[in-house]
Amino acid sequence: MLRLSLRRRRALLPYLFLGPGLLWLVVFYLIPLANQANVSLQTGDPELGYTFTWHFQTYVDAIKQYDTQFIRSIEYAAVATILCLVIGFPLAYFIAYKAGRFKNLMLLLVVLPFFVSYVLRTVAWQLILTDDGWLADRMRDVGLLSEDGRLLATTGAVIAGITYNFLPFMTLPLYVSLEKIDRRLIEAATDLYASHATAFRKVTLPLAVPGIFAGSLLTFIPATGDFVNAALLGTPNQYMIGNVIQSKFLNILDYPTAAALSFILMTFILIGIFLYARVLGTRNLTEAAL
Amino acid sequence: MPDQSPERALERLLFEGKLDRRRFLGRAGGSALALSGLSAVLAACGGVEGEAEKNASTNASKPATANHPKTAIGTWVFANWPLYMDKKLLKDFDKEYGGKVRYVEEINDNFEFFGKVRQQLTQGKPIGRDIVTLTDYMAARWVRNGYTEPLDKKNIPNAKNLVKNLQSINYDKDRSYTLPYQSGGVGIGYNKKKTGREIKSINDLFDPKFKGRVSMLQEPYDSAGLVMLSQGVDASKANIDQILKAIEKIQEENDKGQIRRFTGNDYSTDLTKGNLWLCVAYSGDLVQLQADNPDLDFVYPEEGAMLFTDNMMIPKGAAHPYAAETMMNYLYEPKVAAKLAEYVNYISPVDGIKEFAPDIADNPLIFPPDDVVQRLHAYPALSPADERRMQEAMAQVTGA
Repeated sequence: MLRLSLRRRRALLPYLFLGPGLLWLVVFYLIPLANQANVSLQTGDPELGYTFTWHFQTYVDAIKQYDTQFIRSIEYAAVATILCLVIGFPLAYFIAYKAGRFKNLMLLLVVLPFFVSYVLRTVAWQLILTDDGWLADRMRDVGLLSEDGRLLATTGAVIAGITYNFLPFMTLPLYVSLEKIDRRLIEAATDLYASHATAFRKVTLPLAVPGIFAGSLLTFIPATGDFVNAALLGTPNQYMIGNVIQSKFLNILDYPTAAALSFILMTFILIGIFLYARVLGTRNLTEAAL
Repeated sequence: MPDQSPERALERLLFEGKLDRRRFLGRAGGSALALSGLSAVLAACGGVEGEAEKNASTNASKPATANHPKTAIGTWVFANWPLYMDKKLLKDFDKEYGGKVRYVEEINDNFEFFGKVRQQLTQGKPIGRDIVTLTDYMAARWVRNGYTEPLDKKNIPNAKNLVKNLQSINYDKDRSYTLPYQSGGVGIGYNKKKTGREIKSINDLFDPKFKGRVSMLQEPYDSAGLVMLSQGVDASKANIDQILKAIEKIQEENDKGQIRRFTGNDYSTDLTKGNLWLCVAYSGDLVQLQADNPDLDFVYPEEGAMLFTDNMMIPKGAAHPYAAETMMNYLYEPKVAAKLAEYVNYISPVDGIKEFAPDIADNPLIFPPDDVVQRLHAYPALSPADERRMQEAMAQVTGA
């Protein structure tokens, strides 16, 4: 057996611990990713198969052809993320500071929807929003919906569906970051004659930034690629890029375009995250997280 | 057919318990099925002959001969669409012929299924299924590329019961490789109460009064086919320009918000719930939906309707061709075919079954009358390149 000096062994130790995780990433992330990159540069047709040809044009064509769906996906995901934040922040704040002995029960309620399948919950919304349903009828009664108006199969329904489905992903990180704020800091602020509003603005909110960051990423990223809500609650005019990728892969069997679209989406998201982190301040984030 | 997958899966889940009833609702997927019934029905298929020589290549051009000697049946695999078989027939088959059929309901969409097995097929490897059931345009693709085994007709004497008009089809002139499983009409399913009037014409789909209450099938062969009929084009002989023009019309209507969704079989939920008033729909689905909701009706429009056939085939290199042929022969016994038709509610390709199926003999959706038969159009034969253009154009419209 190879004998290594204690120092060498010490130096290798971290990599040893990283090993299983790295292996996991390589096998289930990097290899599929490389394979997709390869597929995205192939040409051919669905009948006879595809061969690798360095065909970068697929990317250009894909962006040109599906720019509407890209922009739409980002818009919907952004609106849904903001809505999640607006709803999730007060909720997390309440659970962290005001719920008292009901705290655990309320956290359980937040994650409870996960016990039912995502698709099933979305289909449930289909039933709630249905044209002749109770909700639509009542809204017509009070004039919130025109006689031939509808709730289902609209942009609103899709965004509401995304917001509903991803709300826990926003609430939980917010809760965690609010919960671990040292209360004495807030007390200190009020002792120094800050009003409650100022203490919130100057102390609580900045310390909750890591939670806001994590929550919006956990919401925005999957929301951009979502296709279930658009498929079940929308019409073709609400279809997002996820719907296009799904149909390209499964129905049209145009693998190169589907793979290229996936990479473009990934790039958009990475750039977005980078900019977002810059705006919030990366140093701030890492420091606060510690 | 994007949306379908989640909803499809769900519907199947919900209806699973009811499968022993003839429940066809969940058969989702993009497209599907079948026709058959009266020999008459198939008059409509006239157009099917003729055409398509251009496509005939590998398989279709050389005469097929096959010799699959009688052996034990063994354990073999039958791949089909969900809810497309009366399972009692499978049990009876096992009892009568021995062996064990592994019946897999794995075909939800012709293209999706093809994508799954394409690699093995192109490499000439067996795909581990002994019968697959695919719709005309996909069957054509398999025959043209040599992905199918020729049928040994000596093992299928009942093939003589095949209705006259399906005995030859553009991609398989003498049915050397394929045998129809079921056929079906593509017309308009609608809710009488909601529309407030009887629907007769394809153009009713585009009536502004029904804005946002209309769905069309995602499959361009079905939807563009109907639109072409409304434009006075003979859909079974259409060329790519006529098809693209029809897709443009669909695009226009979609931009106006007329069309609510493009679907696979999953229009059934929205139709029964009243969210959709008119759907481009499959005849067999409506037979069952009608039983649950008498307000629903299906019409073969006056301009005509499309007709599709699902075909049984033996994939290249299948391990149990004799078992597969024995099953085909069994399904072509009129008594068995009648039971199947009663269960699936599509049009049977087997002649002389009416007397064995008294319950459905009067149903015009299962046994279409002569005047309807005259108006049924088979799918046009397209070259692979044209088919792809059509599909891409349609994908643009459906936002996918």
